[in-house]
Order: sequence, then structure tokens, then C-alpha cells
Amino acid sequence: MNQDEFSFRVRQALNEGAEQLDYRTVVRLEQARARALARQRRAGPATVRLPALQLATAGAPPANLGSGAWGWLRGAGLVAPVVALAIGFVAISQWQEELEIQRLAALDFAVLLDEGPLDAYADRGFGELLLAERPANR
Amino acid sequence: MATREELSEFLAGVERRAFKQAVFAVRDESHALDIVQDAMMKIAEKYGDRPAAELPLLFTRILQNVIHDFFRRSKVRSTWVTLFSALTPADDPDADPLETLDASGDARSESTEATYEREQVVAIIEAEVAKLPARQREAFLLRYWEDLDTAETAAAMGCSEGSVKTHCSRATHALAKALRERGVTL
Repeated sequence: MNQDEFSFRVRQALNEGAEQLDYRTVVRLEQARARALARQRRAGPATVRLPALQLATAGAPPANLGSGAWGWLRGAGLVAPVVALAIGFVAISQWQEELEIQRLAALDFAVLLDEGPLDAYADRGFGELLLAERPANR
Repeated sequence: MATREELSEFLAGVERRAFKQAVFAVRDESHALDIVQDAMMKIAEKYGDRPAAELPLLFTRILQNVIHDFFRRSKVRSTWVTLFSALTPADDPDADPLETLDASGDARSESTEATYEREQVVAIIEAEVAKLPARQREAFLLRYWEDLDTAETAAAMGCSEGSVKTHCSRATHALAKALRERGVTL
């Protein structure tokens, strides 16, 4: 008997075995199938992508911002959050830069006054840091 | 996209074989049921919108992954289970169904006797399939029971086609030898 014939007969036997499952198992398999079908993923409606910062009035006719002083104020109200955000970014950037300068200054003082721990000079990373600072100081 | 009916029909068609494969792998019917349920949930939740033609291969891969996950989660426990089942003496009715043959069965009709004998042969074959090394059994079942070709089997098992052929050949020879030793002729 060759391999294909042998495997075919084994397959038949396995199919017979699968058909001889006890009632309890068959019921549990049916229950599992029902649960799975209840959670079947369905193709949802097509996703429409919108710009994240699109105004709520998008798609509607151009809003009438009014006239005169009130109209100008409404226009400013729309732009103000963007401006505030930009100012915030600049302020945070400045603040971070200031902190970095203070940290490097403290480090320079510590080196000049020999107040740094001895271990720092043995540390390879510390040496690399000093070398990295050198071009900036020149 | 597979409709609910298509998915239902597909699952109904594979669930018994999937259960048996899980039983061969984990040797515990309760865990095997959990594994099949897990695999069904995954294919329905994640791939329920795929075309019906893609479902067989997807389900095969999911089932193998869930079985592997089961072993990963309970590595220590399964080690003991495997050890004990390997040491199980042959007087276990599940391990050696021929020993459950009743000698006083003369009153049975011939057809009943033939059916019973066939059931015993099937049980022996299942027991011997379950005893195959995991990778050999996986390759043999996917290739010859699930009817996947060599490339699909290799993809499902995450190995080369050459490995699949080697596993299948070894499994076939080991199975034939074991059945011959137990007096089963196919």
C-alpha cells in the first residue's frame, strides 16, 4: 500500500471518528458556533475621513459672521484657539531651552570648582558630554 | 464577504474535525472544546467579513495558533499531562480500545459485531494518531485530513515545504508501523 492509499484510509477512519462524537460534545459545538455567529464581523459603512481640525460648520453654507464689530469678534474667536496653541508651543520650547542652559551652566560650574564627584570623571558618558559641549562653547 | 449562512455552513462542516484535531493535540475533550470555540470566535469576529473561499485556510491557521497558545499558556501543566499520558499503562480503555472487546459477544448479530469492530479500529487509529509527535501529527492531519496542499500546509505550520514532506512521510511510516504492531490492517 502506498502513502496516498494509506493516508486515504486513515482519513476515512478519522472521518468516521469525527461522526461518532457523543451528544454532549455535538451540542457544545453547536452552541460555540451559535456564539461565534452572533459576533460575526460585518462589513461596516465606508469610512469617510475628515480633517481633524475641520470646523463644525464644514459642509454648511458659509457662516454669516455678521457685520461690523460683532463679525470681527466672531472671526477672532475662531482664530484665537489656534493662536493660543501656537503661543503655548513657543513658550514651552523657550522654557525647555532655558532649563537646558541652566543644567549645562551648573555642570560647567561644578567642573570649574572641582565639585563634581570623582566617579563622574571616570564615567565615559561624562567625557563624551564634555566633548560634545566643547564646539558650542567656542 | 461571507454571509452568516456561509459562515455557519463552513463552521458546521469543520467543527467536528477541528474538535478531533484539538483532542489529538491537547488530549483533553474539555480543553479541546474551549479551543474550538475560541477559534470559531476569532474567525467570526476578525475575519467574518472575508470571502467564504478564504475561510478554510484562515480557520486552519487560527486553530493551529489557538492550540499553540494553549500550550504556551499551560506549558508546565501540559508537560505533566503529556508525561502522565505517555506513562499511562495499556490497560486504559482509551489508550487501548481493543482490550474493551467483550468475549461474550456471541449473541450479537454479525452486522453489529462488524460495526463494533470498525469502531474499535477507528479508536485505535485515533489513539495512534494522537501519539504521533506534534509536528508530524499537525502536518499529517493538515495534509491528508484537511486536504491542504504542501504549500498551504507549510504556510499554516510556518515551515518549509520540505519540512512538511518530511513530517508527513515520517508520520505515515510511524502510523503504519504502529497499526501493524497492533494488528490493524487498513
